[in-house]
Amino acid sequence: MRQQYAIRSLILVAFFALMGVAIVTQMIRIQSSEQAQLFLAQGDRYSGEFQLVSPERGEIYDRNGHLLAGNRTVYEVGVSLPDMKNPQAMAYTLGMYLGLRYEDVFNQLVNAPDTWEYVVVQDYVGAETVTSLQALMKQMDDVDDDRLEGLAFKPHYQRSYPEDSLASNVLGFVARDGRGYFGIEEKYNDLLAGNPVQVWVPGDPNRAMEIPRVPNGTTLVLTVDRDLQAKVESILDRSLTQYGAENGTIIVMDPRNGEILAMASTPRMDLNNYGNYFSLYDNGSQYNRSIGMSYEPGSVLKVLTMAAAVDTGTVKPDTTFMDTGAIEVGGITIRNWNRDSWGQQNMIGCLQHSLNVCLAWVSTQMGMQNFYGYMERFGLGHPTGVDLAGEAAGRLKVPGDTDWYPVDLGTNAFGQGITVTPLQMLMSVSSIPNGGKMVTPHVLYSMLRDGHQYNVPSQYGGSPITSDTARTLNEMLALSLEQESSQALLPGYRLAGKTGTAQIPTKYGYDATHTNVSFIGWGPVDDPQFMVYVWLSSPSASIWSSETAAPVFSQVAEQTVISLNIPPDVVRSQIVNK
Amino acid sequence: MGSLCVLRELPVLMRPNRPNIKVVMQATQIIHAYKQAPWRVQRQWVGAFLLFVIGAAMIAALYLDVTARAAIAGREIQEMRFEIIAIQRSNADLETKLAKLTSTAEMERRALQLGYRPVQPGELDYVPVPGYVPPEPEILLVAQDVTAPEQTLPAEYSQSLLEWFDEQIKSGGVR
Repeated sequence: MRQQYAIRSLILVAFFALMGVAIVTQMIRIQSSEQAQLFLAQGDRYSGEFQLVSPERGEIYDRNGHLLAGNRTVYEVGVSLPDMKNPQAMAYTLGMYLGLRYEDVFNQLVNAPDTWEYVVVQDYVGAETVTSLQALMKQMDDVDDDRLEGLAFKPHYQRSYPEDSLASNVLGFVARDGRGYFGIEEKYNDLLAGNPVQVWVPGDPNRAMEIPRVPNGTTLVLTVDRDLQAKVESILDRSLTQYGAENGTIIVMDPRNGEILAMASTPRMDLNNYGNYFSLYDNGSQYNRSIGMSYEPGSVLKVLTMAAAVDTGTVKPDTTFMDTGAIEVGGITIRNWNRDSWGQQNMIGCLQHSLNVCLAWVSTQMGMQNFYGYMERFGLGHPTGVDLAGEAAGRLKVPGDTDWYPVDLGTNAFGQGITVTPLQMLMSVSSIPNGGKMVTPHVLYSMLRDGHQYNVPSQYGGSPITSDTARTLNEMLALSLEQESSQALLPGYRLAGKTGTAQIPTKYGYDATHTNVSFIGWGPVDDPQFMVYVWLSSPSASIWSSETAAPVFSQVAEQTVISLNIPPDVVRSQIVNK
Repeated sequence: MGSLCVLRELPVLMRPNRPNIKVVMQATQIIHAYKQAPWRVQRQWVGAFLLFVIGAAMIAALYLDVTARAAIAGREIQEMRFEIIAIQRSNADLETKLAKLTSTAEMERRALQLGYRPVQPGELDYVPVPGYVPPEPEILLVAQDVTAPEQTLPAEYSQSLLEWFDEQIKSGGVR
């Protein structure tokens, strides 16, 4: 009996041993076979997936922390074809919720190429629509209705501008390709966008830590003051209507450090509907006229001519000039704006009455070497270097250029035959309220990244004139404004400034009926804290700057002193004395 | 039973100076037989096997526990990552919504609705607060002049070796 059991046991042991060996052999064979390699490769393929992670685009804030450009979630609505059960119901539902034609959606779903597993029906669908669709799906799911099986939503960010068109010319916009166009969005696109990264996201939970972190784009803080920007835009819009101007620009800058506090330009665009771009602008230079459009500024340039003349010692404020109403330069006769003679004038009177003849005389006295040398030092003909995309350089013709004529020395002195952008003028003239030093205008205040703030330092743009000259010009322009009883004045504040009325050049000479009116000014004169540049093109109510741009300057100055908390001169002196 | 009988005879076998080879061999065989008793060997094997199985089971259980915990933690991390992304999206949405609700146009509309109007310069009163120093903007005068560094660079940064030798010779090598 015992032997019998032993034999049976041995047989069983042998059987199980053989089975075990067979199983192990089979396991080894399967694992080392060609098919196994294929399976392994397939397994690896499904063990995770490559994902293109586009980090959240950095936000843009104004100097007081108001959001100017943020992000919102939108969805890509698509259908997984292998999971789709009922294309008719799917097409009907999506057509109804997404505002699409049933036939189009149905064809898209049914006639998709065989290799496709997923069809995008619509992208950039708002969260509200997706929430409604998700609620419907849940309702159907509760009653085991699988007609919307396969419907999928992929969230992603879309740029959003809560202030709509406010500061649109400064901000620029982001198109669906994720790239910034114009303004800050284009200039700092690489910083804002962050770096999209293709990452491997393992499905294996043990490898969860391997998922790389993609840092978001850099957040930017601008020097722009949102509330002042809104007021300035409102003033600009009103003045276009009031004076019948075609377009306009107003810039407010801190002359001490070049911070742009407000920059308004027309037309403006609702940045959330950037599709309107082509109906609003003929070309890119119109997007922000403050930096993109160069024009002949007219008499505002007399400030620079006079500054150069005082700096070289050619004239002093009390230097007299007998104005006969005409002067010949390079064989061409130059006349005053009203073709009158103004008799004996000192240099303050020349600025106050904006006498072309006087300034042409000043430039000829200075000589072309000095005059053009100073214009170069003031930065004319060169971009300011402002941190906004699409800046124009303007044009300064100099002796030796094929299109330069001797008469240009006279006409350039009062801003004819020379083109500048409004910001360029502002930068050049900033040397006067800033003690002889030009500032480089800028819009970026600081950058925020990884919890750190990096402030952008202000930069000099050079020192074209001495501080004495700057003080002299400051006083001359304040006096000329006061003596003229200009509409640019603001009660309680001593301001300095200069008007500019320029005829518009055409193919056939200067158009006498249309003008570009400008005004450049700053204040308070004893401690300049703001500079304003106004440009209105072709106003129909009056062709003169003193009647159009000057009162606009006054309005802007009024809003600026309120926004920046600048007390009237009397109060300020009391505070200083205490 | 046989082994018990053998044990009783052992005192006789151990008598000194009287070795009985036959008896010794018999005893050796008995001891040998005792050592290789099948039940004892089986018990040893079973014990060793059980020890191995228990050890392996313990290691397996430990490994399973650690792996399961790691998998759960990994899954939690994955879920947290998704949650973070969802929260970030939600934050961005809420921030934009808040900005929209506090936008200039909206605030102005609400202010006008509440009966406010824009302030006029003459209506403002400025009250000096003793000891209060208003925040100053970054004044350019304290910023670095971009034209200055060239002049302030030490000579070591620009002079060549020959120039340095020349300078050393002229100055007598004394600094």
